[in-house]
Amino acid sequence: MKVIRLLPWLVVVATILIGLLAPLIANDVPLLAKVDGVWAFPAFADLFGDPPPGPGDLSWKQWWSRLPQGASAGDWGIMPVWPYGPLETDTRLFYESPSLAHPLGNDDTGRDVLSRLVHGAGAAVRVGVPAVLAAGVVGTLLGAWAGFARGAVDVVVQRLIELMLCFPMLLFLLFAAAFFGASTIGLVIVMASLFWISFARIVRGEMLSLREREFVRVAIGLGVPTRRILVRHMLPQMYGQIGVTAAFCLASTVGAESTLSFLGLGPRVESSWGAMLRQGNEHAATGAWHLWFFPAATIVAVVLSCHALADRVRVVRAN
Amino acid sequence: MTRWLLLRLLWLSSTLIGVTFVTFLVLDRAPIDRAELEAGRRRVAGAHSGAVYVDEAARDRAVQQLRVRYGLVDPETGEAAPLWRRYVAWLGSAATLQLAGPGDDERAFWRRLSEAVPVTLLLGGLSLLVVFGVGLPVGTWLGRRVGRHRERIVSTVLLVALGVPQFLLATLLLLAFTSVWVQWFPPTGLSSLGSEGDPWFARLLDRAWHLVLPVTVMSLAPFVMVTRFVRDAVARADRAPHTVCLRALGVHERVVARRLLRHGATPAATLAGGLLPMLVGGSIVVENVFSLDGLGHLAFQAVIDQDQALVMALVLLTSVVTLLSLFVSDLLHRLVDPRVRLVDG
Repeated sequence: MKVIRLLPWLVVVATILIGLLAPLIANDVPLLAKVDGVWAFPAFADLFGDPPPGPGDLSWKQWWSRLPQGASAGDWGIMPVWPYGPLETDTRLFYESPSLAHPLGNDDTGRDVLSRLVHGAGAAVRVGVPAVLAAGVVGTLLGAWAGFARGAVDVVVQRLIELMLCFPMLLFLLFAAAFFGASTIGLVIVMASLFWISFARIVRGEMLSLREREFVRVAIGLGVPTRRILVRHMLPQMYGQIGVTAAFCLASTVGAESTLSFLGLGPRVESSWGAMLRQGNEHAATGAWHLWFFPAATIVAVVLSCHALADRVRVVRAN
Repeated sequence: MTRWLLLRLLWLSSTLIGVTFVTFLVLDRAPIDRAELEAGRRRVAGAHSGAVYVDEAARDRAVQQLRVRYGLVDPETGEAAPLWRRYVAWLGSAATLQLAGPGDDERAFWRRLSEAVPVTLLLGGLSLLVVFGVGLPVGTWLGRRVGRHRERIVSTVLLVALGVPQFLLATLLLLAFTSVWVQWFPPTGLSSLGSEGDPWFARLLDRAWHLVLPVTVMSLAPFVMVTRFVRDAVARADRAPHTVCLRALGVHERVVARRLLRHGATPAATLAGGLLPMLVGGSIVVENVFSLDGLGHLAFQAVIDQDQALVMALVLLTSVVTLLSLFVSDLLHRLVDPRVRLVDG
């Protein structure tokens, strides 16, 4: 029972960690390599850009697989836990069903599905986490300002929120992705500008009711500086609400990112859950069930875990 | 009431201007030059007929002419027209329903729109019908049982359903019911091939058969939202003194339920306007997966073709419909629920 209660936390935290560290977990380049006495860290280079080309005219994978024969003495390397890259093709494994060597199977060009899922988490996290953080900061600041100052600021923020609510989110994302070229940073900006209203609405409402409470009035009466009241007295009261909103927004960003890449308009990345699902859908007629099942299960698991987290926090707050 | 109406209409038009201006601004920032795009297109077309721009200067002149025609530059000075002037020009032509953009065929543009609107209207209308037709009774049923075992199970199932992204649900249903598992429903389109000569009821059945999966996908998420909303409203009313009093007086439980439904239904009606953006977003996915030629498909096409005039027209259309329905649902809410009128003027 305890494990089941922890499961949503586990899924969300694991997804974020795996997403951030994807090139170190599943890759076809070594974490650490010693070539002719020179150290190289290709997987770490992959984390921040492109990995350097392999030694000589070999790819890193070829170099590594020839190591035991001892191409030149003293060379050695450590591969990541899952030594397959998201783009590494294998002509012998087209449409291969799940097996011990590849537990989630291979796709139509022999790429490893597990590795693609791991790197897909990277695509989702790189969009979702910064978008939610940015939306959270902007939304909380604007909402708090509107709720605390009231008056003209409140009216402006309220109108802005109502205006944003009229935009069909997906339509806006679609247009933005298409006209600005589908880049990760562009998607983050667009999503943040769509999601900040959720935070602003919640925080504004809470602020309006909190500022009438005794402890705030007492603090004002005692002459505590406004900034200190906001940060020390009022903000901690809203952590729960903000957390709920953040969890819901994270689920939305995962859904939106995979929807866009499903439609073929997502950021140009090595692999993405939505794109994998589209591919699985197209190849479903060939009987390759693992191509659509695993991405679908992953998306549902992550989105549901976010929702479960949000619901959990709300229940705790209510009691 | 008159004052409320006036304020409301003022707010409506200012929001409309805000929405279109933001879209205009965003599109303006896009690194796309319409004139260059069109000149390139003509060049490709010209290459087939043998008429190719010989020198760069001629090409530049052609691009400049196109810029003047599109209103991107001032015809007298040759300088780039400022954003606000172009927006006002767009607003002026939109007010007279000339949405195709300067230099485009107005008739063809409207034909595209008028072919797409009925499909999305059918999808969205049926979805709304399902959402409220099923959502209200289910929400009321749940609201009277909040905290009990059965309510918890159903509510959890609904929460899970809300968590499944729409495109995923569409794909899974498509896979399950049209190819991989059973073949109960047609995978694409709105009618079967060769069904034009059939009697009307056969065509109606055929249409309904084609609509089952798309409408299911489109209505699921709004259905869950309405159900949860109604459940909470009914649960609140269920604990209220007037309900307790009714029960104490021995009024039949069915009568009590009907009164509770009214408590849930009135606030839910205000949700209807807010659901429209969701339905529009859903239509993009659903029409893409099920190959239907509606507004969602048109939006997708506008994006692929980088057609800014079409994007503006679609944003205008959806926001007008959304704002109008918000307005109507607010108005209805005021008429039905006397308590709202007391709160604000």
